[in-house]
Amino acid sequence: MLLLLPLAITWFGAVALAPFDGRRRAVGVVAVGVMVAAFVALVRLGITVWTSGPVEMVAGDWPAGIGIRLRADGLGIAFALISLGVLLAALAYEVLGGVHERSLPSLVLFMSTGLTGVFLTADIFNFYVFFEIAMTASFVLATYGKQVGHLRAALTFMVVNLLGSVVFLAGVASLYHVTGTLDMDGVAERVNGAPTASVLLIAVLIFVAFGLKLGLFPFHSWVPLVYRDTWPAVAAMLSAALANIGSYGLLRFGAGLMPRELSLTASGLIVIGSLGILYGAIQAVSPRTAGEVIAWSSIGQVGYILVALGIGGPVGLTAAVLYSIINSLNKLVLFLAVGLRGWLVGAAFALAAFSVAGVPPSAGFFGKVAIFRAGADADRVPLLVLVVVGGALSLIYLFRIYQRDYWARNHAAPPSPLGARVLVLVLACGIVFIGLWPEPLLALSANAAAALTGGGS
Amino acid sequence: MSMSTILTRTITRLIFLPTLVTAVAVLVKGYAGAGDGFSAGVIAGTGVVIQFLAFGPRELVARYPSLRRAPLLAWSGLLLGLVTAFAPVIWGDPIMTLYPRPGEDVPHLGLLAFHTAVLFDAAVFLLVFGFIVSVLGTIGNRYGSEGADS
Repeated sequence: MLLLLPLAITWFGAVALAPFDGRRRAVGVVAVGVMVAAFVALVRLGITVWTSGPVEMVAGDWPAGIGIRLRADGLGIAFALISLGVLLAALAYEVLGGVHERSLPSLVLFMSTGLTGVFLTADIFNFYVFFEIAMTASFVLATYGKQVGHLRAALTFMVVNLLGSVVFLAGVASLYHVTGTLDMDGVAERVNGAPTASVLLIAVLIFVAFGLKLGLFPFHSWVPLVYRDTWPAVAAMLSAALANIGSYGLLRFGAGLMPRELSLTASGLIVIGSLGILYGAIQAVSPRTAGEVIAWSSIGQVGYILVALGIGGPVGLTAAVLYSIINSLNKLVLFLAVGLRGWLVGAAFALAAFSVAGVPPSAGFFGKVAIFRAGADADRVPLLVLVVVGGALSLIYLFRIYQRDYWARNHAAPPSPLGARVLVLVLACGIVFIGLWPEPLLALSANAAAALTGGGS
Repeated sequence: MSMSTILTRTITRLIFLPTLVTAVAVLVKGYAGAGDGFSAGVIAGTGVVIQFLAFGPRELVARYPSLRRAPLLAWSGLLLGLVTAFAPVIWGDPIMTLYPRPGEDVPHLGLLAFHTAVLFDAAVFLLVFGFIVSVLGTIGNRYGSEGADS
């Protein structure tokens, strides 16, 4: 019951709001209310999971092993919380600024449903189904704004991500072929009995699929095109909430289901991740629009997640979870700030920029520390250098934007609604607050990583 | 469009009702034999697609004005499906529990079994059918507004 509540709230909310015109303020406010309720339900579920272990339910009252399972564990809860939180913030921002299209509130709720489902399922096909619910909503959301640029970005986004979905589906099908089950625990158990070569091939397929979603280095080419042109709030939703599917998928399928293949390819992942960090950071330095710089920056940032995943072990996985969460928060604030004009916005942008670079006392500092520690534990000195260089480069490229957009701008454009500006500033202060009091987040990430390494549960 | 000859128009008009009846049959026998809401929805949707090709959007809507309500159909299908899936949770059963439970008697009326699985399939049918027709409507609107109607 508790497990289903977040899912049910957003799903019924989405259906209930679908017939109404989302441009009306009341509809937007109701949607925000629904999201808050779902978030609270998720926190409540999280408390149960943290105190008394994973919660699970077999659909249709089938015997265990036959029915499709829904399960909430530390990892799923952590990702569901951050994704739902991001969507809530982006929706509130859009409602405060004025919604332009009737379908937005309901679509955001559908996307929340998909994301919650992805993170709370223990069945790889169900994972795919919820993943498609979120993707379908995001395809429509990507057209938000309805100008040529938005539509072009949406088309690119859709084609690339459909390709990723097909690759992932192929991976799921072959995983089923090899193991004879779709249940995550069953797959994890039986996959070791399968020939390494075939499982490795499947692991590569799944890596490519999630790499595409996440915009990892060799699969990144769509990211700048899309984030340059989409609406800022939508870009925040895509990059800070939807992309979490990618990092969660890498963690769940890599460390959770196919740990043997993960350790076989670990050095490769670290190399790809490091290349991504450098390539993203260097590309982001060249002068472009703010959206594009953040897009290149995010290509670099997900490199850190991959590196942490490659290092592995409790320390590496904790770092990967922590970094994904902090990266989501940073991108949320950066993208939202880019969409606004006026006083307070520059400050929010600067705070998030410091967090990306890993300057204390922002949350990003602890993300960098976690990666640093994982690298130090694994005795990988080049990685330590890389973390520092990457951080320095991100400070350079983000402050180029800051200078150009917030200092040297002629203030002819009318300022954005005060509510949206305050919201962004509050979010940015939240990043600093997490930096000042990081223990809950650290515990959350450690708990999430423990769900992966702690055997079956 | 060359699709609209006297032959195609007559035949499409003749096969419309049989298509819908086939769809309902596929839906209803889903509980006992092969068939389900999804294929039924696709069959019924194809029936409308053929009408669309033969008559073009304007004439089609003039013939069957209720097709305009297709989004409502899809919406109610989604709602019905969600309610069927989530309702058991209210009295403490897991999600997607279907009644009567395995081993219990299922009341029949001919082929029609009174089972919540059929209700769920009907929801899927409505969703799929409503969606196909809604998409046709969207294409038709664009098409009609450019004056390229056949």
